[in-house]
Amino acid sequence: MKQEVPFSSKRFLLTLTLCACAVILLQNHDLSRALSFPLALGAVAAGLIVCFLLFLPAVWLKKRWDSDVLTLVQSRGRAAQGMVAVIYSAYFLYVAAYFLLPYTDMFCKKYYTETNPCPVAFLLLACCVYAASKGANVITRFGIFLFVLAMVTNFMMFGGSLSSLDMHNGSLGWQGNPADFGNHVIYFVTPCFIAALFACLSGDATRFRVHQIVTALGLTGVKYALVLFFLTFAAGEYAARQAYETFVLSRVAHFGDYAGVESLYMALATMSVFMIISLLLCGVTKAWHCGGNLWVLALLTGLVFALQLWAVSNDAIRELFTRPLLLIALTLITAAVIPLLVGWGERRRHA
Amino acid sequence: MQGVRSVQAAIFTMEGLVDKEGLAQAAVNPLMAYFFEEPTNRQVFDAILNTVLASSDVTAFEGTEKLLTFLTSGFAVIAVDGVSRMIAVGAQGYAFRGVTEPESEVVQRGAREGFTEPLRVNMSLIRRRLKSPDLVFEQVTVGEKSRTQLMLCYLRSAASPKLVRQLRQRLAACDLETVLAAGYLSEYLEDPHTSRLFSGVGISERPDTVCGKLTEGRVAIIVDGTPAVMLVPHLFVEEFQGVDDYSNRTYYAAFIRTLKYLSFLVSVFLPAIYTALAQFHPEYFPTWILIKTAKSLSETPLPVTLEVLVITFVYEIMKEAGLRIPKSLGHAVSIVGALVIGESAVTAGIISSSTLMVVATAAICSYVTSPLYPPITMLRFLLILVGGVFGLWGLVLATALVLISMCSKTSLGVPYLSSLSPFSLRTMRDVFIRASWKKLGKHTIRVQRFAETEEIG
Amino acid sequence: MRRMICLLLALLPAILTGCQSARRIETASVIENVSVQRRGGALCYTFYLLSDSEKPDSVTVCAPSFEQARTLAERSYIPHMTLAKLELLLIEEEVRQDVMKGDIDYIATQASFSPQAHIALCDEKTLLRLQREAAAQSLIERQIDLLREEHPQVKSDCLSVFNSYARGESFEVPLITCDRELRVSLVRNAP
Repeated sequence: MKQEVPFSSKRFLLTLTLCACAVILLQNHDLSRALSFPLALGAVAAGLIVCFLLFLPAVWLKKRWDSDVLTLVQSRGRAAQGMVAVIYSAYFLYVAAYFLLPYTDMFCKKYYTETNPCPVAFLLLACCVYAASKGANVITRFGIFLFVLAMVTNFMMFGGSLSSLDMHNGSLGWQGNPADFGNHVIYFVTPCFIAALFACLSGDATRFRVHQIVTALGLTGVKYALVLFFLTFAAGEYAARQAYETFVLSRVAHFGDYAGVESLYMALATMSVFMIISLLLCGVTKAWHCGGNLWVLALLTGLVFALQLWAVSNDAIRELFTRPLLLIALTLITAAVIPLLVGWGERRRHA
Repeated sequence: MQGVRSVQAAIFTMEGLVDKEGLAQAAVNPLMAYFFEEPTNRQVFDAILNTVLASSDVTAFEGTEKLLTFLTSGFAVIAVDGVSRMIAVGAQGYAFRGVTEPESEVVQRGAREGFTEPLRVNMSLIRRRLKSPDLVFEQVTVGEKSRTQLMLCYLRSAASPKLVRQLRQRLAACDLETVLAAGYLSEYLEDPHTSRLFSGVGISERPDTVCGKLTEGRVAIIVDGTPAVMLVPHLFVEEFQGVDDYSNRTYYAAFIRTLKYLSFLVSVFLPAIYTALAQFHPEYFPTWILIKTAKSLSETPLPVTLEVLVITFVYEIMKEAGLRIPKSLGHAVSIVGALVIGESAVTAGIISSSTLMVVATAAICSYVTSPLYPPITMLRFLLILVGGVFGLWGLVLATALVLISMCSKTSLGVPYLSSLSPFSLRTMRDVFIRASWKKLGKHTIRVQRFAETEEIG
Repeated sequence: MRRMICLLLALLPAILTGCQSARRIETASVIENVSVQRRGGALCYTFYLLSDSEKPDSVTVCAPSFEQARTLAERSYIPHMTLAKLELLLIEEEVRQDVMKGDIDYIATQASFSPQAHIALCDEKTLLRLQREAAAQSLIERQIDLLREEHPQVKSDCLSVFNSYARGESFEVPLITCDRELRVSLVRNAP
């Protein structure tokens, strides 16, 4: 198996921040006017606090043994390794399909309207195979360029929407009902998949500090807050008339006669999904200790592609891949339960 | 030779490699004038070696291999009957090109000296600039038939010993029969299993550039018979650094660096973006360009992707012709290129003026960073195809793949995109800007200390 | 080498199946502005194509809504129509109550339409002038921009008009009239 060169934890967490921000880029969740803006911010904060709690077991492993779940479980025997590998593989492939579906849907609805989503998914996955074969370190290096693109896109999107701000579009009061608040909180917990990625890939990260996770989630929260703010007060009800409200925000942005930054938005969404799926594939190959093996990666992407095809043709399956609660439940197992069990076992071994 | 006994001796030279007058002064005349009183042939040999010869470049050696090496390097070899050792006398007299300004690295304010073909001349150009006792020249021979001499040149206090050892191993693994240029060895010096699109081996013909790189811990490989000196490790950001940046004002250096980066991006992406927009996203053109572009493209027979590819290809043919053509005919090529291809083809409606404009702009921009010309050309063609088939989305994916490829590339273990990714704030002072010398002089960059440098060897 | 060949073979189906959504610039019919008026009792939508000729190229279809007019125009007259560069929607004042809300709502559902497209009411003479002069559109847009600078509360683009309808409040929109010269004024639109 290809050995990873140790990489900076700061850069790793930056990459995970970008992955988390992709959630709101691809959001097709109805975040419209059920809650007022302050309550929506509250939902964001509550959701990200839950995400932080899901990080804690992996943080414990990292601080105590400077390692991750997949590395520590190697000392527990082949049966345990195999079981953990199966669980994490299934989870990561599920998350890959979870992001691939809305991306291809958004892409075919907004950009290439006469295109079938399957070739789009196929090409994207083929590129992810190449990226995943290089390892998580290389993907985090790529994350720096994606960060620059994200900054430019956000600046253009938010800066271009400033002139469309109309505070009458939304409310600064505290309006909304608990059910909607609960729904929104659940939605904003979906970035928790980065906790599972952290649990699996943080072993090679150096100079880790807990405040880096706080910063990562804080930046994610800021991004979500800005998107919500501009959606509410710049795009207003207009955004709710189409799917993928953040895309609408990119259309609203304008600089004089030059209207729309949807091309930048498309680039950011594409590269974000590319990075997420590549990292997930790295996680799977690490679980099976065959990092860098192109055939294994091709097989895994074949599975993701099969899931994509299945979901496109079957509404019930598609529903499964767009349910935040299921994602959160699976993340609870992979980011919290299994690391806790592995850590507890490691403590007993050393006691 | 005159003496108390009769002793047979011989001087061997290669025709055309030796300076006959110099040899006469250094060896022949002193040997003829000396009266040998030594009783044995061995003592005669020692007398010749230590006393008789009037040259400072005298070496005693043994073996046919060394004999061949000295003879083919222009030395004269003196052999004394009955003695297995021989004496090599430096009396080179072969013709070589003088020290002139390198044409590929023209500067405004730097020195006008460039490397030439002979190894010793190049060594002297470096030695004159770096008078440090830490400067080391290590000789290596490669090529079974050509027996080309190389010099590994580095500063002992700056270069990593592991790096030098790894270089020796890679050069020893070179199994070529002949090595006639520096480029032959580039592939042996690159890290295995990394992308070959960009080169991990730098080339320079300027002694000042090479000396600057040596102080950063790099190793120079001087190849006998080539004015191009190889430098490893080599990073992407170095392609945008020039000698003039360090002589000009800091603000101007920053401006030129930014210009170079922008030119690189324009030369790679402009034709592809134009193709993608024209093929898939015409609404992204500003209105005033859209009308003119649509009109000019509608009057030409070829689809825009093919048109851009054809014009780019014709441009490459003209550029190659311009390189190979005798100087006296160079004007004819310029006239053919400008009038026939440029003016007449547009007027006849074979190609559109907007496409020609785009390709010409990209071509001019590619000369700003001429060391990157090969990867720029390949990327340009690839991205035009991708843009024409898949549109902007395809370009985004292709860019992601190229970035991943560059991020995974290393040059003797050092990440190729160091300073950018892995990001290093301290070294960024010499990437997009050139910080003042007071700041640059405080901490010298050592290339082996870049983050995430892999252990090699 | 084998890897490259496998990759190319794998990409071939993607290449063959993925290119149908090309909207080539030389064949695309870009619509610059749309006007709505009543003619002979029926609602008529006129689509003005982007061109550099002095007299505007336009296609008029009669349909009860923007959506149906677009479908009819695409099917029968302008097969490669693109409305992504729509800059102006001019509605004759007398048909405002019938079409404005519905058409704005339709525009809001389409990803390709720009939310910054200008919306204005006009009289019949303005529409006649628009049909005669290609420069009339840019004059109208300039007038609207000047009006907006003077009266920031005016709703002159799809985004703000749609949001005003959604809030159920009355708002002001530009009204373009034409005697000898084009003039712009404000008119109040009740919910």
